[in-house]
This record gives sequence, structure tokens and C-alpha cells, in this order.
Amino acid sequence: MHVGHYISGAGHLGLIGWLLWGGNFAPAPEPFEVSEVSVITAEEYAALTAPETAPEASTEAVAPSPPETAEEPPEIPATPTEEPPDSSDPEAAQASDPDEAPDVSEIRPPEPTDAEDTPPEMAPAPSESAALIPEESDQPAPKKAPRVAPEPVAPPEPDSKVDEVRQEEQVPEEGAETPAEPQEATAPEEAATEIVTEAEEEPAAAPTASLRPQARPKRSTVGQKPKPPKENDKTDTAAINSALEEALGEEEETAAPQSAAPAGPPLSQGERDALRVAVQRCWNVGSLSSAALATTVIVGVSMERDGRPDTGSIRLIGSEGGSDAAARQAFEAARRAIIRCGANGFDLPEEKYERWQDIEMTFNPENMRIK
Amino acid sequence: MMTGFMTLVAAVAAVMLGAAGPAAAQDSERGPLRIEITEGVIEPMPVAVPDFVAQGGAAQDWASRIARVVADDLSGTGLFREIPREAFISPITSFSSPVQFADWKAINAQALISGAVEMDGNGGLVVKFRLYDVFAGQELGEGLRFAGTTQGWRRMAHKVADAVYSRITGEGPYFDSRVAFVAETGPKNDRQKRLAIMDYDGANMQYLTEGSSIVLAPRFSPDGQRILFTSYRSGFPRIYLLDTGSMQLRALEEQPGSMSFAPRFAPDGRTVVYSLTRGGNTDIYTLNIESGQTTRLTSSPSIETAPSFSPDGSRIVFESDRSGNQQLYVMPVDGGTPERISFGKGRYGTPVWSPRGDLVAFTKQSKGRFHIGVMRLDGSEERLLTASFLDEGPTWSPNGRVIMFTRETQGAGGQASLYSVDITGRNLKRVRTDTGASDPSWSPLLK
Repeated sequence: MHVGHYISGAGHLGLIGWLLWGGNFAPAPEPFEVSEVSVITAEEYAALTAPETAPEASTEAVAPSPPETAEEPPEIPATPTEEPPDSSDPEAAQASDPDEAPDVSEIRPPEPTDAEDTPPEMAPAPSESAALIPEESDQPAPKKAPRVAPEPVAPPEPDSKVDEVRQEEQVPEEGAETPAEPQEATAPEEAATEIVTEAEEEPAAAPTASLRPQARPKRSTVGQKPKPPKENDKTDTAAINSALEEALGEEEETAAPQSAAPAGPPLSQGERDALRVAVQRCWNVGSLSSAALATTVIVGVSMERDGRPDTGSIRLIGSEGGSDAAARQAFEAARRAIIRCGANGFDLPEEKYERWQDIEMTFNPENMRIK
Repeated sequence: MMTGFMTLVAAVAAVMLGAAGPAAAQDSERGPLRIEITEGVIEPMPVAVPDFVAQGGAAQDWASRIARVVADDLSGTGLFREIPREAFISPITSFSSPVQFADWKAINAQALISGAVEMDGNGGLVVKFRLYDVFAGQELGEGLRFAGTTQGWRRMAHKVADAVYSRITGEGPYFDSRVAFVAETGPKNDRQKRLAIMDYDGANMQYLTEGSSIVLAPRFSPDGQRILFTSYRSGFPRIYLLDTGSMQLRALEEQPGSMSFAPRFAPDGRTVVYSLTRGGNTDIYTLNIESGQTTRLTSSPSIETAPSFSPDGSRIVFESDRSGNQQLYVMPVDGGTPERISFGKGRYGTPVWSPRGDLVAFTKQSKGRFHIGVMRLDGSEERLLTASFLDEGPTWSPNGRVIMFTRETQGAGGQASLYSVDITGRNLKRVRTDTGASDPSWSPLLK
């Protein structure tokens, strides 16, 4: 009997407690997600959606003309020579047997066997095109220039003097209180970022191919089993260990000479980059052999406090990837770069002179080989 | 599992060390500052070629002419740019006087060639020169001296230019060489074709045959003393061998009912590889010049032609349409299974192995245009160097750096002429010839 009372009392107490404090354990309501909505006009909406619509076929498209139908060989300036060869009365073969009298009617050309198995390539008929598109990619094609440099440079003004630094022309004004020093206009030489061959020159604007239906998209890979790990993965640990050893080794190497005197703050990344850019402007690899272009050289140079290189101190420390002869050509090109662009002093902070008193420059032409 | 965890830890540590490495090196470094230069410029090197010093009044004319040929040779490579003589500050008046480097630096001359010419007691010429790195303020290599006859003054100039070119670039020389080609005169429908030879730059042209029969595709022997070519003098295309010293002509292959063409020497100079058409089928054969023994290398029903030996004589590259389209193949020198090396769109033909052995030059026809291109022996790194209405027949310079070829213009008045281009695709230019010209063959370097 008492057991029933106890159960009933406990149940009622539980009910009263839940009514009083049960709300405290409920999860907090989700925060409202707020997004701004703006109203646009019908014209704006049309403008936004217009590029998504397919272009209409133009019925007035001009048929592409065949390429280079009237190509003439480029004019090459004749090389001035002191004595043109005597073409009017060339020395004919004296000891050779005289050729027989020509009889064109009996000459039988070789059988035209080439035509049997090699049908000519048929260009796609322009009439099939629904919408004409340029065949080349959307990427702008690099233009031809006599000089290849890391940054493309537009042709300078005709009156400008070629210099690494672009400067406006300064003409002293008459009557000015402080007459400006006359300055010739200078501009860098025109440059492209890579060698452009005749075959790679920018094609004519006329399209040469018609738009074809796109191929069916590839099947989704969702649900496919992942590929088994390659064997190379097993070697990752070894590679990481070797990288660690290398990094630690470098750390030890660089930490070794710490016994020297303090040398002020290190060069910032910007200062190092400025030095690198200054040297690469004069590093001309255009006259190097392919063997020298496959050779990396490390060149050491001692610097004067005014930022000029001590030309007598420029030395080859090491080379990699080529013969001794190739390393010599590569070193000489590197030496010219350091001397030429350092002639007026590199822009280096004097207060950090101890940091750049001795410089080791690694000239790695790998990127230049594929220009 | 443990291994994976360790790998992760090691990777994170490596990345942190790698990122901190340069900074740490910079902070703690007491050694030299280290920077890496990976970008540069590609432009012709400015070079000063003042007139050579005439040592004696009789040498005055030669001194100027030789200097001009040297300057033209170097400028013609596209790797050098001659500084106009008007810009010179101080002339060189004595071969043995010290060079005023400051004056040459001021006009941005990076290389300076100082030379002298004198007549010897026998009426011959003696040419000597020195090459200077102006900015380093020192001589490059040692000066050289050449002696010869006045008739050979251009060869001496070419040799000076060759020495300068090789010393600065590291490439082998090629100026002292000749080119055999087919000289073409007359309208297109009645064109006279004669075998001719000239210096590599178009000077000193001489005819080797009369114009009574059509000649095609001359090819130099490895010693430069003989020329193979195809002639129609018998009414059919036949291969002939011309000795340029004695001018003796000899027919090499006389098989009734057949046509032989596209000959080329093996590197040993004793064997000739060529194409022979018999019964409507064209295959590749070799011929021993001394014994006359022939060996058939291919026996396919397709057309195999334009064979060219590798420099070591172990392989042959040729064109074939066995795949249904003209492509390039390589096979062992004794025949065997050919391996296809060209896979691009279009047709490939007239392959020629580079003297260095690393590249094959070819003619490519694609989308209605002709190209001269190069590729590696495995077909990789294909690069088209030219594009025109008709480019064909590449031939390599002796050092494997320049390619000469035929370019023909379209139409009834179309003319064939010779062009050359650097293997980088730069410096495309026309070779000066006095007549129309086609089918060039570059000789080896003259001895």
C-alpha cells in the first residue's frame, strides 16, 4: 500500500519539476539566417542572363579566305659585300661529261605513287558551321620581339634611348627659377616573354574551323572504387626522411659560421629580390650554346660598400650539368651580367653591408631553355 | 597506422623547416649571401668589329674586307649585334697596343675583335686576331693567326668568325662551309635546273652541271669532296656521284625498269642509302660504292623513302606511309622493325638527322601549310620553326645549330629560294643567291 503512495508521489513530483524547470534544458533556438535581397530591373536581369544564351548563327559571316594565298617572302636586307659573286659568267663544270641534249618529250617523271595511299587532307567545309569560333585558345598569343625577357615590354618611342630604366624627357624651361637638368627620354627595349617562331605567330583573325558539337561528358566517378595506392607511396617516408636530413644538414651548415662577429639585421626578402631582378636584367643567355644552357653555375663575388662588384673577385665556385667548356661559357655570361648591371652599384642597404659583402649567385638557366 | 602518424609528423616538420629554412639561414648566416637567378634575357650580344689593322699598305684593302665578312658572319647568326662603326670612340690603330676598355664599355660593346692583316713575302695573306670580353676587361682565349692566299681571303675571314663564335657561344663552328643546291632559272613551266655550289652565305657561286637535264637533291659526302644527286639525264631518275675535285661523274645505280632517288651518304662515306622504285613499290636500299653490292632494308608494300643516317651510322630515319599517312620511322642500319616517331596531325617527310644526333629536322604539311620543324628521336618536343605556302628539304649546318631549307612562293611566277633559321625558331632569313635556288645540302666544315 505504501509502495503505491511512494510511486504516485514520486511521479507527481517529477511532473511538477519538469513543468517548472524542464524548459531550461531545451536547446537554444537556431539563429536566423539573414540575407540581403535587392530588387533589380528587368533590363538588368536581361543583361545578366544574356551571356548564357547561345550565340545566334550569323548568316552574313564572311567565308574564311585560304591562308597566305599571296604570301611573299619577307624582305631581307641584302648583306653589303665588297665583291658580289660573278653570276653572269659562272665557272661551269669543265671535267664533267657534257649532258645530253635535252629531250623533254622523253622524260618520264616518277610514278605518282605518293597519291595512292595518302589522300589529301580535307579542311572542314565552312558552310557547315553554325557559329564560327577562332581555332586558337582564348589565351593571348605572345607577340614576336627581338628580345626575350621575364616581363613583356611594349616597343619604346622612336626617339627614346634604350635603357633599363624608363625616364621622361626633360627639357629646361626658359625663365624657370630652377632650370631642370636636361634628360633624354629612355625606355627599355621591346621584349616578349618567349621565343615566337614563324609557325607560332598570331594567326589571322579569320576563323579556320567550324564549331563542332561537344562530346558527351565523361561518366561521373562517384561510386567508383578508389584506386589502390601506388608503390611510390611506400617511398614517401624515405623521401621525407631524406628531405628532413637535407633541411637539418643545411641548418647545420648555415649555423656553423656563427662564431663570426655580429653583422646587423639580415636582408629583407624585398632587398634580396631587388638584387636578383637587377642581375637577371643583364643575364643574357641568347648567345649561349645548348650545352651551356643546360649548365647551372655558382658564381662568387665580393662587393664594394657602394654596391659595386669587385670585378676581379668574380669566380666560378661550382657548376652542374655540363662539361667544363659549357661551364666556362655559362660563367662568362654570368660574369658579364654581374659587371654590367653592377656598374652603377646595386641597390643594397649600406647598413647591412656585412650581410652582402660576399655573394654567391646561382645561375640556373632551366627556365630559359624552354623560352 | 603508426607509420602513417609518423609520416604525418615528419611531413609537418619538413614543411616547417622548409618554410623557416631561408629565414633562419638569413638570420644566422655569417657566410656569403646566396641568391638564385632563374630568369634572364635572350637578345643578341653587342659586338664591336673595327677594321683590322693593315700592317703594310698592300694589306689595307684586305683588312677592311676581312673585318666586314667577320662582322657579317657573326651578325648573321642572330646571336650577335654589330655595333655601328660610327659609334666607336677610339679606333684601334695598333694590334699590340692595350685596349681602352672604358671606351668600348661606354658604347655597350660586350665583345671586341681586334685584328691585323699583313702580306707575306710570297703575296699571301696573314690574318691574326684577338677577342676581348670588354666588361671583364680581359682577353677571351688566345689570339689566333691564319695564313693563306689572297684568293682564300673569305675563308680566312670565316675562320676568324668561327673561332670567335665558338669561343663565345660554345657551339661548334660553321661559317667555313659550303652549300650545294639546285640553281633554278626560267619560268615555272620551263625551268632550268643546274647543280651549283656556293659559300654558306651565298658568295662564290659556281655551277657544277650544265642545264641540259634536270637535277635534284644534291647531298655532300662526309668529307665534303663528293656530291650525290639525282639526275634525269638518262630519261629516268638515277643517282650520280660527282667528285668536286676532279669533276668526274659516275652513275651509281643502273637497274633497268627501276628508278633510284633520294640518296644520302652513310657517315663512313663508303655506303649510300637511297630509295628504289621497282614494280610500283618504293623501298629503301643501301649500296656499297666500291663493291656495288646492294642491300634491301625495307620490303613493305607502302612507300618508304627519304632515308637519313644517324651520325654514328647505327640507325636510319625515313618517311613511310605504311600507317596510311606519311610519318617518320627509325630502323636499325641493317633493316629490322621500324619504330614510328612522329604522331602529330598532318604529314611528315624528308627527315634529316642532326649532326649532334639529338634532333631530327623534317618537313610537315598540316592544314594547307608547310612547316620546317624539329623533334627529338622519341618524337617528343616537336617544334615547328616556319610556316609558309611551301617549305621543304631541311639540311643541317655542320654544328647542328642552323637549318637551311627551300621556300617556294605560290602562283605561276612562284620562285624557289633558300632560307635559314636557328633551331630556336629565331633569325629566319633568306640566303642570298643570284638565281632561284632549291634543295640545299650543307657541307661539313672545310678542312
